[in-house]
Formats: sequence, C-alpha cells, structure tokens
Amino acid sequence: MRDVYVIGTGITKFSRLEYPLVEIAAYPAIMAMKDCGLSKVDHVYVANMGGSRLNHQTSLASALIDHLSLYPSGADSIENGPASGASAIKEGYQAIASGMHDVVMVVGAERMREANNLEATDFVASLAHPLAEQIYGVTLPSLAGMFTRLYMKKYGVTSRHLAMVAIKNHTNALKNPFAHLHAPITMDGIMDGPDAMNNNPMIADPLRFFDMCPVSDGGACIILASAEVAKKIKRPKIRLAGIGQATDTHCVHEREDPTDLLAVKEAARRCFQMAKIKPKDVDVAELHDAFTILEIVESEEVGFFKKGEGHLALESGYTALNGKLPINTSGGLKAKGHPVGATGVGQAHEIVTQLRGEAGERQVKNAKTGFTCNFGGFGNNVVTLTFVKE
Amino acid sequence: MKKSILGYKCKKCATIHYPNRAICRKCRNEEFDVVSLPEDGKLLTFTHLHNPSGDFEVAILDLGIVELSNGCRLTGQMKIEKPVIGMKIKSQIEVVRQSGYKKFYGAVFYKA
Ligand SMILES: [Zn+2]
Repeated sequence: MRDVYVIGTGITKFSRLEYPLVEIAAYPAIMAMKDCGLSKVDHVYVANMGGSRLNHQTSLASALIDHLSLYPSGADSIENGPASGASAIKEGYQAIASGMHDVVMVVGAERMREANNLEATDFVASLAHPLAEQIYGVTLPSLAGMFTRLYMKKYGVTSRHLAMVAIKNHTNALKNPFAHLHAPITMDGIMDGPDAMNNNPMIADPLRFFDMCPVSDGGACIILASAEVAKKIKRPKIRLAGIGQATDTHCVHEREDPTDLLAVKEAARRCFQMAKIKPKDVDVAELHDAFTILEIVESEEVGFFKKGEGHLALESGYTALNGKLPINTSGGLKAKGHPVGATGVGQAHEIVTQLRGEAGERQVKNAKTGFTCNFGGFGNNVVTLTFVKE
Repeated sequence: MKKSILGYKCKKCATIHYPNRAICRKCRNEEFDVVSLPEDGKLLTFTHLHNPSGDFEVAILDLGIVELSNGCRLTGQMKIEKPVIGMKIKSQIEVVRQSGYKKFYGAVFYKA
C-alpha cells in the first residue's frame, strides 16, 4: 500500500449556522483547497448522518461537487452514524493507498439545529435498536446514563470526575476560535455552589446537563494525497499512519460486561498495530466525549491508562493541555461541539493542526504523534486514526 | 392469552438472544426456537431520563436494563420508586409508547 498524507485542512466554526447544509460542506472544502494550493481533486467523500432527515438533503456529495464545480470528479456520501467522519477518512485513505487516486477530499458536514433539541435527540436515537431499545424511549443520553451508573459503581468514578472532564474541555475550547461553546465553567458553578444544581440540571441521571455535548452545526475538511503529490505541497508532512475500525453488539444490554467498550479497544489495537506505535507514543489525542464519561473510558480502552484508572489520570492533570498527554485540546465534542457526521473529520483537523504546530494558544509542544477516536452508536462502530509528523 | 417477550433460542448451542438475529453470535447456527422469556430477573442498571421525546407524556421516563432468570437481558421501562442495582424485578408487558394511533408493547419492570 502507498503512504497517505494530509496536505490541506479546513473547518467552520461549530455552532448554529444559518446557511444550507451544502454550504456548511463547501466552506471548509474551499479552505482546504486554498491551504494546499490545489483546485482539483480526483474524488470527494462526504460524511453526513442527518441530511435526509433533518435538512431534506440526500446525496450531499453530489450536491457539493456541483457547488464547488468539481465535476467530473467522483463523489460518494458516507453515512456511518456519529463515526461517519472517520469512516469517510478511511475511504479516502484506501483510495490513495490502493493507487486508485492521488488526491482525495474528505468533508464532514452536519446541520442539526434546523430541528429543535428534542427532534435532534430523537434523530440520533434512531441509531439504537428499533425494537429492543427505541420503542422504550431510549436515547443516547439514556444509554450513557445507564452506562455511567454501572461504571461509577464498579470503578469509583464520581460526578466530580465527570465535571472535571467538562471543565477541562470548556477551558480548552476557550483557546479554539472554531469551538461551539466559549463558556468557562467552574466546579463551584456546576457542582458545589448554591446555584449549581440549577445551572447543571439532571438529564439522564447520573448525567447532568454539563455532561452532554451541545447540538451543533458544522463542517470540516481534510485533503489526502499520495507521497508524490505531498512532496510538492509546501506544508508540514503529516502522514495518516494508522486506521482501526471495530464493531460491537447493537443493543448495549447484550454486551457481556456492559462497562466494556470492546469496539474502542479493538479499533485502537488495530490502529496502533498498523501505525507501528504504542499508546504511550501518542502526544495528543481527540477522544469522542459526546458524554463526559466517554472521555474517561475511551482513554482506558485505547490503552493510555489501565481500566478503571482513567479518572485518576484526569484528576492528576495528566490529560490537561499542559499535561503529559493532552486530551481534547480542541474542546472535544463537549465544548467544541458535535455536528455528528462532521465530528470525525473535525477531530482529524485538530490533530493535524497540532502536529503542524499551528494550534496557537492551545498548541501542545513538540507534538509528533496524534490519535483520534470516533465513536459511532453507543460504541457499536468505532473508527480510530493515528497521524504522524515526518 | 398472556403476552410475553419472545426470545430466540439457538437450536444448536441454546444461547437465548434478544432481540432476534439471523445468525447465532456464539456458534453461527441459523436456526432458532421462539421461546417466552421469563418475567423475573434482577436490575443491572437504570436511569431517569428527563424530558423524553414527544411520544411520552411524562416529564421523566425511567429506563433500565435487567438480567432475566435465564440469563437473557432486556432493556425496558421501569416503574420502581427507589430502584437499586441488583434488586429483584418482575417484568410485565404493557403499552410503552404511543405514537398517534400506533401502540407499541414492550417490557415494564416492577419491584418483585
Ligand atoms: Zn448458537
């Protein structure tokens, strides 16, 4: 297989965006083309989850090709739930590694806030099992709540640990101009103070409001290329060195130990093996913290920490921006935002920005190796990526 | 006739699946017997979901996962005042969701 490099990147602010889905996809694409100086690509992959349901827009990739006048390049829309973004990157990788294409654009775009919050939650809940979960009113927050309760009991994670994730990621987001939430929060404000329980109401206990990511619109793009093309582009050389994907049971209740996220573990193992690195080699990581508990558990399952010790690493500051392994420097899904289909591409954007040394105030010093975990379903389809600076 | 949730018992290795699938996850056999799942079990975990979707005319929807006495697990709604992990439950079939004129039946867990 041929080596694959990231040569261009672009992103919108994750927020409420008042323009059509195709423009949310087009804006970061144009940014990425300008970033690498190319005006043509061989193929376009567009990750999106909710276009048909929320925006009355199917075949987003074809619509984007037209908007960018990129015909007759090939184009495919990719839907793999909240892991659509990293799945699309994987498709792009395969197209170049196989020798089929030399330059591929990968875009993720989502416009969720056209719907109200309940409709958006209901839409995301459509990835749960229709008969065994959906009919009962099971939503992603409720699955996360049931998971968290078990995790707390088994491993001694507390609500304060969860709040620490939120505070860390909100703090990081303050340094990311593209983040959805620029709202500093404190332990006093969301846990301890007299107004804390009003500020931070229960959503799916034990998970509270500040344990949940916001509902965001947003788009991101990376352009991938062969070594031959990358050589001619005057940008830092960032190689997409590893990809891992794994699946698990559709229903959470069928997992032997429901506190395990085996697809995360296996996807990471495959990814590190392909990249020929170990978890300890990672300098900066973006983990899929749609719920605060997930950052802690994923940090264990991917191998950064032992099972049951992720919250201790968090507590010690190990995963803070100035820690040994900064996690979610972008603000994570928690504060950067979670435009579902775009999220995986957004995570890759952050890691490439860090490895290029262009992350400004949130730059991790000497970051050479970065990792992303894009979590689909409630952990039933997970895609992980490793990027290396050369 | 008394309603019950139907599990799918693999004809080869006897693993009981819920919900159904085409191929057994333990032994890859493709034939199943349909069996009624028992009503008794224990509560594995639960949550109180605030502001559920519009089909549920309640402010808080209680949801849980239980392990039935035959080892099969179910997700369902819960009507238990002070739920505790590990407590004994009994499941009952009721209307769990009403969307317009459409009624969905499913498992509701009570204290045993
Ligand atoms: Zn079997």
